[in-house]
Amino acid sequence: MAILEITDLHKKFHNNVVLNGIDLSVNKGDIIGIVGPSGTGKSTLLRSINLLEKPEAGRLSLGDISIDLPLKGSSKKAVTELRKHTGMVFQRFNLFEHKTALQNVMEGLITVQGKSKEEAREIALKELENVGLIEWQNHYPKHMSGGQQQRVAIARTLAMKPDIILLDEPTSALDPELVTEVLNIIKKVALQGYTMLLVSHEMDFIRKISTRVIFLDGGKVIEDGTPQEVFGHPKSERAREFFIKMNKLKEPEYYI
Amino acid sequence: MSTNFSDYFSIELMWSRFPDLIKKIPITLELAALSFLVSLVIGLLIAVARYKKIKILNGIATSFLSVVRGTPMLIQLYVAYYGIPAILRIINSWGANIDVNIIPKIVYAFISLGLYQSAFTSETIRAALESVSAGEIEAAYAMGMNYGQILKRIIIPEALENALPGLDNSVIGLIKGTSLASTCGIIEITYQNQILAGRDYRYLEGYVALAIIYWLITIILERIFKIVEKRTKIPERPKPIKPI
Repeated sequence: MAILEITDLHKKFHNNVVLNGIDLSVNKGDIIGIVGPSGTGKSTLLRSINLLEKPEAGRLSLGDISIDLPLKGSSKKAVTELRKHTGMVFQRFNLFEHKTALQNVMEGLITVQGKSKEEAREIALKELENVGLIEWQNHYPKHMSGGQQQRVAIARTLAMKPDIILLDEPTSALDPELVTEVLNIIKKVALQGYTMLLVSHEMDFIRKISTRVIFLDGGKVIEDGTPQEVFGHPKSERAREFFIKMNKLKEPEYYI
Repeated sequence: MSTNFSDYFSIELMWSRFPDLIKKIPITLELAALSFLVSLVIGLLIAVARYKKIKILNGIATSFLSVVRGTPMLIQLYVAYYGIPAILRIINSWGANIDVNIIPKIVYAFISLGLYQSAFTSETIRAALESVSAGEIEAAYAMGMNYGQILKRIIIPEALENALPGLDNSVIGLIKGTSLASTCGIIEITYQNQILAGRDYRYLEGYVALAIIYWLITIILERIFKIVEKRTKIPERPKPIKPI
């Protein structure tokens, strides 16, 4: 059953068309890997789903929330509702700098969900445990590594029990040796039955954990299938070229 | 004939000025506090207008800043002192009935001191607001927080840390600025000194005593601010974990 339905989404920045009619239907439990060349609207697509970007045309529906674009003043409430049901993990973590790891995870529970401090604390501690950072609960972001910050950000998102999690290049800002710890957590979360949309350049990882892969180019979905289908037998020339290029980069001929 | 040092400067006389001057410190502090409050409110409004780039307000705010920063505080004080009653008289001539003399002198003083300082306070606040990263605000929106909640829970607490040193300067600037209020006829410590010196013409002793008093007030305030700043700062070490 589809929980998120994206219909004919259009977005441009000035005259640059970034999303050119995206249709996508996401089922509960889907782990969707979104791949494609730079500048094809992968991040913009994710950021449009929770309306951090405002598309000019199209329709979004999540559960019983429906939003027709462009946004009108009257849809403000629906936007907030939609955001409450989606969680986002950012490339640059975006933790609240003046709050500890624990307070970061508690914030939404208290402010958005209206939970009591004790209840929020209990949930937050459980989520920090889930990402393996219970001992770091009183640390401020500036005292943590990028990998740890990203794990707190994941805990912060999970604590809100979102219907769908949007991960926008969650490992791109990390030092190579920290990538694995974050990927392991994402894998763990994926196995816990969450619905996820993941934009990443970690092709092998996407191949392994996704139930479905979509390939974006020129603001359109041009491949959509299982990882085996999309990576193994891409239908379009564009996707084939892209995968060849990505694989080539890993070959040792570049080493002197 | 021999001359004594004390003919020109008597330390004893200087000390004797203190008790009478200290009596007026509350007026100085009250004036500074009221002015700071005005500067904080107006400064916040200007800062938000400029931070949020609200079109017309931004224009008005920018012109206001230009005028206030480009004219001496003493002149602004005189303009307020003579200008506000003039405006009231004009309003009265249209049929209103406001008693011009009913407005206490201190009102002119703290309004003009506050307006003057708001030009600087607003820049402090604006810089502090802009120091909160766009990413954090986005993360808060993505959670489903509304702008009011983000302002209260994220932007203001975080901006405060960056704003404090500038706000401290504003307070200290205002403490010293209150000395100009004597021109409006408010008997704060500077005016008190002029009254006392008028009796024996020993101005130097009085002014040195006055300088010491201002200096001490400033030192004490700086100490207090340092403690407050330390409290709002993100600690260098994490707190120990509370047992569940």
